[in-house]
Amino acid sequence: MRLAATRLQSITAALAAALLAACGTGGDTGARGKAASAADSSVSVVDDAGRTVTLRGPARRIVALVPAVTETVIALGGADRLVGRTDFDRGAAVERLPSVGGGLDPSIETLVSLRPDLVLGWETSGRTELRDRLTALGIPVFSIKTEDTTDVFRSIRNLGVLMARQHAADSAAAAIRAGLDEVRASVAGAARPTVFFMVWNDPPMTAGPKTFVSRVIEVAGGRNVFADQAALWPNVALEEIVRRQPEFVVVPIGEQGTVRLEALKKAVGWRELRALREGRAVSVPAQVVNQPGPHLAEAARAMRDAIHPELRPR
Amino acid sequence: MRPAARLLLLASILALALLAAVRLGAVPLSLRQVLDAVRGTGDATTVVIVQRLRLPRAVLAAMVGGSLAASGATFQALLRNPLAEPYILGISGGAAVGAVFAIALLGAAASGGIVAACALAGAVLAIVLVFRIAAVAGRALDTRILLLAGVVVGAFFNACILLALTFADADAFRSAIFWMMGSFGGATWRSIGLLAAAMVPALALLMALARSLNLLSVGEETAAYLGTRVERTKLLAYGTASLLTASAVAVSGVIGFVGLVIPHVVRMLWGADHRFLLPASVLAGAAFVVLADTLARTAVAPTELPVGVVTAFVGVPFFIYLLRRRAA
Repeated sequence: MRLAATRLQSITAALAAALLAACGTGGDTGARGKAASAADSSVSVVDDAGRTVTLRGPARRIVALVPAVTETVIALGGADRLVGRTDFDRGAAVERLPSVGGGLDPSIETLVSLRPDLVLGWETSGRTELRDRLTALGIPVFSIKTEDTTDVFRSIRNLGVLMARQHAADSAAAAIRAGLDEVRASVAGAARPTVFFMVWNDPPMTAGPKTFVSRVIEVAGGRNVFADQAALWPNVALEEIVRRQPEFVVVPIGEQGTVRLEALKKAVGWRELRALREGRAVSVPAQVVNQPGPHLAEAARAMRDAIHPELRPR
Repeated sequence: MRPAARLLLLASILALALLAAVRLGAVPLSLRQVLDAVRGTGDATTVVIVQRLRLPRAVLAAMVGGSLAASGATFQALLRNPLAEPYILGISGGAAVGAVFAIALLGAAASGGIVAACALAGAVLAIVLVFRIAAVAGRALDTRILLLAGVVVGAFFNACILLALTFADADAFRSAIFWMMGSFGGATWRSIGLLAAAMVPALALLMALARSLNLLSVGEETAAYLGTRVERTKLLAYGTASLLTASAVAVSGVIGFVGLVIPHVVRMLWGADHRFLLPASVLAGAAFVVLADTLARTAVAPTELPVGVVTAFVGVPFFIYLLRRRAA
């Protein structure tokens, strides 16, 4: 629930909005300094913001501010390297960890107190206040984009290098590819229904063609009914949805409190959709489908089961 | 209590508030650890937390609180309107337009410094615009027209913000909302230095105008009879309080409630002599905002509340209590 998380956070938060975090990087020499001589073990990777991030050695104390990236770290066998989590991370592997707050507006002093040697942050279209601030405090920040499936594979590869777990990264990527291929094969030859993916109901927001959600719809044997949009997460007019009459309306249902399907079926405008009247409004678990991470194949399976009921074993 | 003793009391409260702000935060630290960190000894992580995160943040909160309270007191005298506050003449709207357009249009190039500069530019644009409208409409600067011009310009800027937000992407939308909610999270010694460069001369000038403001708040004619150069005073007070507000907004976003209520509280407790009201408002506003920000950082840590929420939640009940006590 990328957008819902965004909105929740925008309510609870107060992100830095003032002057440059131009503090310089002095004053933090005591904590490290011994490792400096081991230059050969250092790791350099270009992040999704185009910056080269150099670590003195493979990351051992990691805080991922992006839930899907936390999942990736765990998938690469790095659960014991995580030293913090956000309020939006779920699961047994992270629940014991201290929270830093939201992923976009973490408590900086809590982050500093965890002494991470790598923070994995959102690549937020160049909005750099948080990154600049952490960098100025001597904490390496690696920015990660999570819009498209290619972003997912790239971040798995990059994390493999940063954590010195390249083999685990290769096999995780291979497993995802195999899972996606398997879903693709299972819908070969089936009709490809048009799908409206509801990111948000009011104002209506959907997934644009350049998002992982749209790719997942394609792999699962559907067509994104708003594949012609330029924006990543476009706001679309309700009457345009009604005009296009998607064959399926897919609603992610999760802990973030998305509207229930029943309420949607009675809502003005939405009730004009044949898909809703004829029982082709389907829910998918938000926790699986909205996670551009190692569970991408599961997301594709959930999407296929939702939009291809005829393929389900009886 | 004599005025000097009252100011001393307020200064002590401010000092205690600053100590609390450095002592408390999302990370629990002992008093010993904090004291060591202030001296620069002890654990490196603790030193970073205390010296580079908590201390600048507390100092900036104090300065913004003091600036807004002084500016609010001045506007209330100048406009002879109890509803006057630092943002009433469209300054916050202008600053927000500058910041939101920088965030929405510049994208990757909009660093914190550029957003602050654009906010300042927007605020100054609002000040000039409001002043030009008010000055054209009448020969002398009519404060009623000034007030109306300010409210109208503010409404226009708000519409501009909504327009920009409609076309902003999700990241820009979020950044803009965060900015408008106001925060001291980005405090650095650099932003403190910039605000100080505006604050020190502005407060000195307002103090020099204190006697004239006393007369002005009674009425412009009376003030003129008693030897005040009314037009010059109005112009100076408007310009100074406006620029002071603009600088505060540029470094911290819009922090509501302080500039409206702190001067009223001081007036209710100790009278309306601006020679006392102004410095007392600065100290009380500073202490109030520092305490509010400390609460905002710790109440539901590690998540931070918007400081404006805390200033209103704590300030409104206290203000209602004062109003009722005075009425009784």
